[in-house]
Amino acid sequence: MSLLARPHYPDYSTAPVQHQFYPYADNGGSVVAIAGDDFVVIGADTRLSAGFSIYTRNQNKLFPLAKTTVLGCSGCWCDTLTLTRILKSRMQMYAQEHNKTMSTTACAQMLSTMLYYKRFFPYSISNVLVGLDNEATTLSGTAKRRFTKLGGSAGALLQPLLDNQIGQKNMEIVSKEPLSQEKALKILKDVFISAAERDIYTGDSVFINIITKDGIQEDKFELRKD
Amino acid sequence: MSILAYNGGAMVAMKGENCVSIAADRRFGIQAQTVATNFQKIFEMGPHLYVGLPGLATDTQTVMEKLRFRKNLYELKENRRISPKVFSAMLSNMLYEKRFGPFFVEPVVAGLDPKTYEPFICNMDLIGCINLPTDFVVGGTASAQLYGMCEALWEPNLGPDDLFETTSQALINAFDRDAISGWGATVYIIEKDKVTIKNLKTRMD
Amino acid sequence: MFDITAPAPPLWSNGPSPGAFYNFPSLQSAPSDFVTHSQAPVTTATSIVAVAYNNGVIIAGDLLGSYGSLARYRNCPRILKVNDNIILGAGGDYGDFQYIKDFVQEKIVSEECLDDGVKLKPKSLYCWLTRIMYQRRSKFDPFWNNLVVGGIQDGNVFLGTVDKLGTAYTDKIICTGYGAHIATPMLRDALDRNPNPSQAEARRLVEKSMEVLFYRDARSYSKYLIGVIDKDEGIKIEGPVEVPTNWEIANFK
Repeated sequence: MSLLARPHYPDYSTAPVQHQFYPYADNGGSVVAIAGDDFVVIGADTRLSAGFSIYTRNQNKLFPLAKTTVLGCSGCWCDTLTLTRILKSRMQMYAQEHNKTMSTTACAQMLSTMLYYKRFFPYSISNVLVGLDNEATTLSGTAKRRFTKLGGSAGALLQPLLDNQIGQKNMEIVSKEPLSQEKALKILKDVFISAAERDIYTGDSVFINIITKDGIQEDKFELRKD
Repeated sequence: MSILAYNGGAMVAMKGENCVSIAADRRFGIQAQTVATNFQKIFEMGPHLYVGLPGLATDTQTVMEKLRFRKNLYELKENRRISPKVFSAMLSNMLYEKRFGPFFVEPVVAGLDPKTYEPFICNMDLIGCINLPTDFVVGGTASAQLYGMCEALWEPNLGPDDLFETTSQALINAFDRDAISGWGATVYIIEKDKVTIKNLKTRMD
Repeated sequence: MFDITAPAPPLWSNGPSPGAFYNFPSLQSAPSDFVTHSQAPVTTATSIVAVAYNNGVIIAGDLLGSYGSLARYRNCPRILKVNDNIILGAGGDYGDFQYIKDFVQEKIVSEECLDDGVKLKPKSLYCWLTRIMYQRRSKFDPFWNNLVVGGIQDGNVFLGTVDKLGTAYTDKIICTGYGAHIATPMLRDALDRNPNPSQAEARRLVEKSMEVLFYRDARSYSKYLIGVIDKDEGIKIEGPVEVPTNWEIANFK
């Protein structure tokens, strides 16, 4: 009503233009993780971007926290830097206090607690925490265990494909064989290639960590760069 | 929430070797509430021509009626079948006439040329901007999921049976990750001498 | 009969009375009783262009301090030698840069006072600045800058950047502001063709970038400083360098 009565003439305004400061940025990125019986593979693309700019084509977004625990982050990069630095120091404090490295499940709980601590000024990050637990393989999202997990800008594009190819959803002939590491890696690469076709925030290349009981093995492969 | 996402829906069309497919879910809902699970979103516009209208359900039906009217008028006047290309141009023009008060549908057209039987697919936005790719088109609220599926599953020169499988898997897995699409699906496989319509049973949640 | 002390009615609704000034509806400034966080940038500097080459880093930034669209100050150096192995460049609010410069130099002095022979390293400064920028953004009172840190650490070339949110990354090419849109594509193309440029080649690339930016960035200036940090030659900051302009290419003279 008041808008109708008092038209707005921005050209005649002498009031200072209020520059709104927004503390978050969406720096994009996608993280995909696939677990088998005795291994986990996790991949993150290496493009760091904002809007239509690519900051760098070679940014690792996987953070090894322990010998068999890796965190993959996408979203607001400044929050990621902060969170992973605090995580690293808390891992060190735990190690020195208890004289052992934290288990993957404990890492997941700690991550959850640390994210909730910032409930009213949250870290704007999609986290994918993966690793091995005492029995076999665990793949943790925020709290729930499952076999495939992903986060980031291409999440909606990737998840149904993983449901189909790994979760064997909507399939008549279901293979009873456990997922092999080679197949997991192949699917991981395929979903990233698909995501890079349609998501501008995913591309350049993918960093992969393959976690087995022997530790973390690194791999990398190229994606389209446009 | 966008008006385009008020009723929900997922749609995909793919090109194959001398055949095309078009498929959609069967849900009609009002936001999160499912009202019917037998809703038609794909309409026959000729022996080899189908149009899918995902978006606001009332506009789906209005646009379908207007299209049928215009197509019939064209065919009476010209005394020949409308080609998918001409049909798409007509639809695009019809949507752009309402540039500043649009129909909230994002149409998908699939068909074979009435003379050459060459496969044709296209989609457009709600004001008629045509996209003519060589592989597949998607539409509706599960379009991001469909892009991910189609980008991985589609390959060139699929025969009718493979095209049916590819289209169905792409659609079902995509709408299973969309809360307001699904509840059954209909797939049309359009070939030179037959059109196969299959209703798929899917998870109903 | 008439009350002549009563003012005449306005000429139209919300309009002026006869003889009075008209108040434009949006002229009233915002109420002053709320706390204004995060001031907008005032005196600003534009792009920084930085390239890492096989033996060091080159950073360039022009000398203009803009006041909105007004070219207000023409001698605002913003390429800084921090110590013998770090060079710092900044864009954005010049006042915030001067404050950052003050406490960075204060840190250098206090480290010097320890006299333990240990010097601040580029990665340490980069990390520290990341934390400072992030802390200020978390207080909703950011330093409105893009900082570029170049240096040599353990025989390796370092080039990194931090923005006002604390977003930080390292790369072989870093350009801020309009440079990110105009110079980065040119430099990435050049480095694709020649992945390990020499100092002279890198310098030519930076000079070309500054020339293009002067032609196309309306907040840029023809005089700039160019800082070089080299494994063998150490740090030198040269300038003011003048962009060689050629207005013959302009359409309307």
